[in-house]
Amino acid sequence: MLERLARLSLRLRVFLFFAALAAGALAILALGIWAGLARLDEAGPEGAYTMTGLIVGFGLVALIAWIWLMFDENVARAIDRLAGSLRARAHADVSHELKHDHAIYLGDLAPAARAVTGSLTETKSALAEAVERETTRLAIENARLQALLADVPAGVLLCAPDHQIVFYNGPAAALLTAEHAPGLDRSLLDYLNPAPVRAAYERLSLPERAGTATDLLCATTQSGDVLAGRMRLLDLPQGRGDRPGYVLTLRDVTADLALHAGREALLEEVFERVRRPAANLQTVLAAGSAREAQGRAALLAEVEGLAATITDLGARYDAARGGWWPMADTRSGELAEAVATQAGQAGIALAVEAGDLRLQCDAFQLVALLSHLAERLVGEHEAHGLSLQVAAEEGGALLSLSWTGPVLPVARLEAWLGRPLEVGLADTTGRSVLAAHGTEVWPEPGPRETEARLCLPLALSAVGAPAGAAETRRAVYDFDLLDRDPPGALAETPLTALTCIVFDTETTGLLPSSGDEIVQIAAMRMLGGRVVEGEAFETLVNPGRSIPAVSTEVHGITEAMVTDAPPIDIAARRFHAFAEGAVLVAHNAPFDLEFLRRHEAGIGARFDHPVLDTVLLSAVVFGQAQTHTLDALTDRLGITIPPEARHTAMGDTIATAAALEKLIPMLAGQGITTFGEAIAACRRHARLLKDVNDPERVPA
Amino acid sequence: MTAHETVPHVLIVEDEANIALALSTVLRREGWTLTHIDDGARAMEAIREARPSLVLLDVMLPSVSGYEICQQIRLDPDLAETRILMMTARGTQMERRKGLALGADAFVSKPFDLREFVGEVKRLVGEAQHA
Repeated sequence: MLERLARLSLRLRVFLFFAALAAGALAILALGIWAGLARLDEAGPEGAYTMTGLIVGFGLVALIAWIWLMFDENVARAIDRLAGSLRARAHADVSHELKHDHAIYLGDLAPAARAVTGSLTETKSALAEAVERETTRLAIENARLQALLADVPAGVLLCAPDHQIVFYNGPAAALLTAEHAPGLDRSLLDYLNPAPVRAAYERLSLPERAGTATDLLCATTQSGDVLAGRMRLLDLPQGRGDRPGYVLTLRDVTADLALHAGREALLEEVFERVRRPAANLQTVLAAGSAREAQGRAALLAEVEGLAATITDLGARYDAARGGWWPMADTRSGELAEAVATQAGQAGIALAVEAGDLRLQCDAFQLVALLSHLAERLVGEHEAHGLSLQVAAEEGGALLSLSWTGPVLPVARLEAWLGRPLEVGLADTTGRSVLAAHGTEVWPEPGPRETEARLCLPLALSAVGAPAGAAETRRAVYDFDLLDRDPPGALAETPLTALTCIVFDTETTGLLPSSGDEIVQIAAMRMLGGRVVEGEAFETLVNPGRSIPAVSTEVHGITEAMVTDAPPIDIAARRFHAFAEGAVLVAHNAPFDLEFLRRHEAGIGARFDHPVLDTVLLSAVVFGQAQTHTLDALTDRLGITIPPEARHTAMGDTIATAAALEKLIPMLAGQGITTFGEAIAACRRHARLLKDVNDPERVPA
Repeated sequence: MTAHETVPHVLIVEDEANIALALSTVLRREGWTLTHIDDGARAMEAIREARPSLVLLDVMLPSVSGYEICQQIRLDPDLAETRILMMTARGTQMERRKGLALGADAFVSKPFDLREFVGEVKRLVGEAQHA
């Protein structure tokens, strides 16, 4: 019956509906009159009228209530849902097909809406394709530039005139990071000693310095490392007033300065410790007391002291020797291949057996030395069957150049080491290369009788895991920040201009009041309504208690994983620093915040940030009656979360951030564009979830 | 060899006369035969002739380096029982490795403690005698 009804036209259905209403009313009236007449004899006319009135009254109320329920369910709510879905398609990029099963009684409205959204999607995708072609071209150009800047070994920063960071590369992040990493739209002066930076900026702002660069020396505020920098103003059309932004390149000179200081100190110590015994010796000898036993003892004591001093100082000098020469981290395989290639050009076949070690050396010089030796061996020593091995040994690596033939006389080797090498530097000989590397080379008989070899030990590189090197290869930027207006009052700030920290926590359970604790925090930064790639925060937290198996089943975090993790006080302090000055965003923020706020005393900071809750924003956009779980919300917005990422702190953070990205334009479609308006709209849904903003700090 | 049964012979190859004199004085007290050569070029000739139990060899010599003499001794099978003690004023870890790799039995850096030095010399002479 209902099936057949659903197929009739909407107008006919509405007509039938109201006809049914009229018929129903008449039927109730007839029923009332019939019942009244039936009781006329026993109850008299008053009773009969009352009876009729009661039946007709209640009957009509029931009929109308039923009709209202039907209308609310099938018309009002259906229209609401349809409108929500339409908005989702109009303002956010939701492209999957409109569901119309909950609007089947609205006649052609749902199919019509579907047609509209379908053609909208088509138009959008045609437009998007055109835009994409152009965007791809720009993106490729952008990526090239980014790769270039990410690979520059110096730290490169671009700042707005108020010193807010607009661009930084991996090395810059590494130079500035101590307790917390630098981020876009944070002040550079929080990371570097402000005075030299300001002074350099003022120097460059003088009219006569236009277009020039200036050098500066400044220390990082967190670690005190000394950085050498060069600043140049940006010659671009400016958005923020007349003052231009600037580019700052940074290099860590702490090690250089320490090396210089160390050498200076050693030299001073040499004079200090040698001068006194030398003077004493002269005095003792001049006095002629060496002939007496006492005098001889004094002489001996002085000489012994002097000898010990020289031995000690000499050892220290040798240990520091070669430290000034720029040594890079070089893979043994690449070094050996380079030697083989170089030797190959001189017509020498060189077999290579190099393993994968990371050597601390000047590869260019070493290749020149080794290929020089190979050439001499073949040319002057009649060696053949040459091979180069690099093997790990205690405290370093041993390079050995082996051949079939007699052992090389040391005298001949020394003569070869004295010849200049072709490395483009004057006065570079094999001897000087060895000295720069603090090493030696010597001939040895080989393992087999007909063989011989040259041995050259090298230090291994002290660098950490390769993952660290990969991580620093990045460039993070948002050039829109250069043209942004200075921020005003928070309530008037457009949602698209907010700096947000989207975060999520995983916990041991749902009840912080009964001792449940955080086991993981993840967060991402959003600037200008977009997630900043490359600025994320993720940490495990040692909850200081057991993790129930049921919780581990949800988030996959075991007790073993958190044994070495920081406790909540430290982890949350780092998170607090990461979130400084930003709006916190979470899905069901009161839950996560309660866990954090319980530890405010230990953390030494308050989580009194302004807060946006995606549960409440979802209610504002889609209506309170919908389900507002993260799964339901992301599903409605067409965001897919890989199942393995669901219920991990970072996975849910990514999902929440993606939802916020899509909710912001939808809110704008409803006329909600500023933070204040969003909070006011959220507070209308207090029945669903309490707004956790401090009413005094964030007035509606 | 019969020479081993008799008085040990120590040959000093050292261009610094003062050091050579001091070493000779100390070692003569042990009753050993001592020869001093101040030029590296004549060293091999003298060693082959005298067949010493121990050669005290300075690294920095005019014309021929101590390393070279050390290598030549080790390449001569007739001198296999000769012990070599190398001495240098600049004894880095790498030079020590180089010296030992080239066949020295011990390597000392100047300035050295004379008592320890004599102990080392006695040990090496003892080894050569019982080789």
